Amino acid sequence: METINLTIEEMQKEFAKGALTSVEAVKNCYKRIDAVNPKVKSFLQIRKEKALKAAAESDAKIKAKTGGALEGVPIAIKDNFMIKGEIMSSASKYLENFISPYDADVIEKLKKAGAVFLGRTNMDEFAMGGSTENSAYAKTANPWDLERIPGGSSGGSASAVGSRMAPCALGSDTGGSIRQPAGFCGVVGYKPSYGLISRYGICALASSFDQVGTFSHTVKGTAKIVSVISGKDYRDPVCEPNDYIDYTDGLDNASLKNIVIGVPKQLNEYETDAAIADAYKDALERIKKQGAKIIEVNIPAYKYVPALYKVIMCAEVSANIATFDGIRYGYRSPNGISLNDEYAKSRAESLGYEVKKRILFGTYVLGAKNYYRCYHQAQRVRTLLINQIEEAYKQCDMIFTPASLQMPVKFGESLREESDIFIMAANLAGLPGITVPCAFSPKNAPIGVHFLAKRLDDANLFKAAAAYEKVAGFDNSKLPM
Amino acid sequence: MDFETTIGLEVHMQIKTKSKVFCECSTEFGAEPNTHICVICTSQPGAIPILNRKAVEAVVKTGLALGFTINKQCTFARKQYFYPDIPKDYQITQSEPPLCSKGKLAIKIDGQEKIINITRIHLEEDAGKLIHEIGSRKLDYSLLDLNRASVGLMELVTEPEISSADEAVVFLNELRDIVRYLGASDCSMEEGKMRCDVNVSVRPKGQKELGTRVEIKNMNTISGIHAAIVYESQRQIEVLSSGGKLVQETRLWEDEEGITKSMRSKEGALDYRYFPEPDLVPFDLTDEFIENLRKELPELPKVKEARFIKEYGLSEYDAHYLTSSRDIADYYEQALDAIASSQKISVGNAAKPIANWISTELGGKLNADNKEIKDSPVSSENIADLVSQILAGTISGKIAKTVFEEMYNTAKDPQTIIKEKGLVQISDENALSKICDEAISESAKAVTEYKSGKERAIGSIVGLVMKKSKGQANPQLVNKILAEKLKF
Repeated sequence: METINLTIEEMQKEFAKGALTSVEAVKNCYKRIDAVNPKVKSFLQIRKEKALKAAAESDAKIKAKTGGALEGVPIAIKDNFMIKGEIMSSASKYLENFISPYDADVIEKLKKAGAVFLGRTNMDEFAMGGSTENSAYAKTANPWDLERIPGGSSGGSASAVGSRMAPCALGSDTGGSIRQPAGFCGVVGYKPSYGLISRYGICALASSFDQVGTFSHTVKGTAKIVSVISGKDYRDPVCEPNDYIDYTDGLDNASLKNIVIGVPKQLNEYETDAAIADAYKDALERIKKQGAKIIEVNIPAYKYVPALYKVIMCAEVSANIATFDGIRYGYRSPNGISLNDEYAKSRAESLGYEVKKRILFGTYVLGAKNYYRCYHQAQRVRTLLINQIEEAYKQCDMIFTPASLQMPVKFGESLREESDIFIMAANLAGLPGITVPCAFSPKNAPIGVHFLAKRLDDANLFKAAAAYEKVAGFDNSKLPM
Repeated sequence: MDFETTIGLEVHMQIKTKSKVFCECSTEFGAEPNTHICVICTSQPGAIPILNRKAVEAVVKTGLALGFTINKQCTFARKQYFYPDIPKDYQITQSEPPLCSKGKLAIKIDGQEKIINITRIHLEEDAGKLIHEIGSRKLDYSLLDLNRASVGLMELVTEPEISSADEAVVFLNELRDIVRYLGASDCSMEEGKMRCDVNVSVRPKGQKELGTRVEIKNMNTISGIHAAIVYESQRQIEVLSSGGKLVQETRLWEDEEGITKSMRSKEGALDYRYFPEPDLVPFDLTDEFIENLRKELPELPKVKEARFIKEYGLSEYDAHYLTSSRDIADYYEQALDAIASSQKISVGNAAKPIANWISTELGGKLNADNKEIKDSPVSSENIADLVSQILAGTISGKIAKTVFEEMYNTAKDPQTIIKEKGLVQISDENALSKICDEAISESAKAVTEYKSGKERAIGSIVGLVMKKSKGQANPQLVNKILAEKLKF
C-alpha cells in the first residue's frame, strides 16, 4: 500500500483493519528517506533495525488488540531528546558521541503508547537559530525549494514531515522553533502552554521558554500525539499536574461559530511578504464565513519582543550551556594546559559561532553592571507584554496572525528580525500556539497561519485550528518532491 | 593606639535529610565515591532539579528557632562560576529574599548575655569534592567525587557584631547545639557538615566606620577558627600600627603554619552573574506550613537547661551536660518517667542521683568508647531502676558501681544482675551484728582509739565489716550497730 500520503489517523485506521502493518509503513518511510533525505537532509541518523523490530512488536500488539494510543505509528525525533542508549547531539560537536543515559519523559510516554522512532532529525545547534543552518553536521533544505531554508530550529523535523519522510515528528519550541518551520514546510506545528508537556530529558535552551511540541499533517493528528505526551511529570517542576486529557475530543465537529478572533493592530506596522499578506487575508475571510467574529486587538509591547526575547533567552543560555565544560562528558580539548585553559579550549573548539555569540551576550546582560539595565528590565517588559495580551483576551478568544511575515529565504540570507515576533510572543507569555497550513504561494511554497490561545486553553486552540483546517482550502495531497 | 576587632561569620551547615536537595540521591556520608549520583546531580543534558521539601522545612525550622522572619516567597537563583566540583557550573542558591531574614542568638560571655544579630539564612546546594592526592601521594590529575554535589546546605550570615575569637567560638557552639536539637543538621565539622568563613576587620577604638574587611576561608575546626581570628586581627593591627594599609581580600588559613595567606583581592573577585532560577518556579510557603513547623519546634537547649535546674534542682553543671544534646536530655527525662511510673520513689528524690549517674558514670563510659547515648547499652529504664535500688537500700552505692559495670557490659537490667550475683545489701540486723562482733574482735587497736575519743577510728572497723560482707552490708546500719556496741 502507498502510505506516504497518509495522516496518522488514516494510518491507524488501516492498521486496525489489518490492511496495513506498521512494518510496511515504517519500511515505506525508510524508502522515502532513502530517496529524499540525501537532498533534504532532515535526518542526522536513522535507526532502521531498531525501528523495524519495534514495528513488528507493534504489529503483534495491534493484532492482539492490546496496542497503545500510537501503536506502530512512525515518528521522527529532533536531536535534542534523550533516548536511552542512543546518541543525542543537539546538532553540536560538543555532544557528537554523547549517549543518553535515560529516556526523556515524552520518549517514555511515546514508547508506552507504541510509537516507532525513525531516527533523529537535524536542528540548529542546541536549538539556537531559525534556519537549521547552525547545525554542526548538515544543512537541511526546504523540501519545497531546495535552495531555501526549512526554518528552525526544528528544521529537520519540519522538513521530514513536510517531505513525507515521516507522518509526524517531535520538536522543541523556545521562540517559534516548531511553528515557524511548520509554516515554511507546509505542516501543522504546535507548541503547548508552558508546563503542559514535561521538559524532562530535553537538552535545555532557555528553560523558561522551552516546550516540547509536534509536527504532523492534521490538527487531529497533532491532538492525538499531544494527548499521549502531555500530563503530569514530577521530574519537571513547572509541569502542570494534569491527568490524561483527550485533546481529540470534539475536533470532528469543531466550529468557529461565535469565536472571537483578535487581529493585532501591530501587524500593520511590519513589512509582510505579499504572498503571505494575501494568504492571511483569505484565511481571515474563510474564518469570518464560518461565523467567527473578527476584532482588532492592541498589543503595543509586540515591538519589544525581539529585544526582550534575546536578553532573557541568551541569559538562560549562558547558564544552561555552561555545564558543557568538557569535564564529565562531551568534547574535551586535548590542548588544555590548565583548568581554565581546558574549559576555554574545550568550548572554543566544539561550540558553533551562534552558540558562542549567545553565551557572550547572555554573560554580558547578567553581569553585575548590566543586570538591572538589561536582564531585569527585560523581565519587566515581559510582564508588560503578558499584561497586554491578557487585556486583549478580555475581548477575544484567540489571536490570529501569519506564522511568519516572511517566506523562507535562501541559505546564507537572514530573515527580518520581526518576521516571527507574533509567534514568539507565545513563548514569552507561556501561551499555546499552532501553525496551520493555509495556502501555497504563487511560487508553490506553503504558507501557514497561527492561532494563539489563552494559557492552558490548548483544547480550545485545537478546536479552533481544526475548524479552520476544514475550510482552509490547503491541498494536503500535494507532494514537494 | 587601641584597636578593636569586628567579626562576622558565614556558617554553612549541611542539612540533615535522607535525599539531596534537588534530586533523590542519598546524602549518606563516607560512601564509595560517585555511588550517590544521578542524572540531575551530575548535570546530564535535559535533567531538571526538583526541590526537596524537607530541606526547606529544616531551614525554616532553624529560622523559627532563632527568631527569624520567614519570607513566605521561596525563590532560587543561579550563582555562576566554573569549577569541576559544581557540575552545572552554577550553584542553585537563594539571593533575595532568603528563606529567613533577621534573626538573633543570645550568647553568654563572662556571665553577661550578648545578642548577636543574624542577617539571613538561605538554602543552597553543596558542591562535590575534588581529590588531589591519595594518602601522601600528590596526583598530577584530580579525582572528582560527586556524592556531595547537590546535598542541601543552609548558609547563615551574621552581622559584624562579634568582637573576639572567644565570642565567635561561643556563638558557633551555641548555634551548633540549637541546630542539632532541631535535627536540622549534624553540624559535624570533621565530616565537613559545618563549615565557616570568617570576616575580620579591626578599627581604632571609638571609630564608627568598620575597618577594611578580610574574609578567611579554609578553617575546619573550632580551634582553627579561634586561632585564625586571633592571628588575623593581630596581623591587621600590626599592619595599621606600622602605618600600613589593609586591602579588602580573601585569605586562606594555613592550619599547620598557623597563619593566613592572601588568596585573592577584591579586584579579583568573581562576578557570579546571579539570576532567578527558571527551572524552579517561585512558590509561597503557606501560613499553615510555617505554623506546623513552629509547633514541631523542640524545647531549645537554654530553655531546657533552665527548666532542669528549676524543676529538678540540678546543678548548673549537670543541667548543662544533660541538655548538651537532645538525645541525652530525652534519655534523662525518660529515666525520670520510669521513676514516676514505678511509683516506688519520688521523682524529686531520684532526679539528682540519676543526673549524676548519667553525667559521670554513663557519660564517662560512653565517652571512652566513643559512643552516643542512643547507642548506650544501659537503657534509661534500667538506669532509673538502678537508682531506685540504691534509694530503697537494696544495694549500696558501692555495689551499685559493680552492678552498673555489669549493666554496661551485658545490657542486663539491674535486678537480674543483683539476683544473679547475690549482691543484695544485707540489712538484717542479727546477721550484721554477728559480722560486727567479728570485726570488733579483730580490731583491738581501732577499738581502743575509738574509745579514747578518736571517732574517726570507727572507719576502719566499718571497712572491715564491708570487706567481710563482700561489700553487701548496709553501711548506715553497720555504723549504727557498731556505735551501739562500742558505747562506753
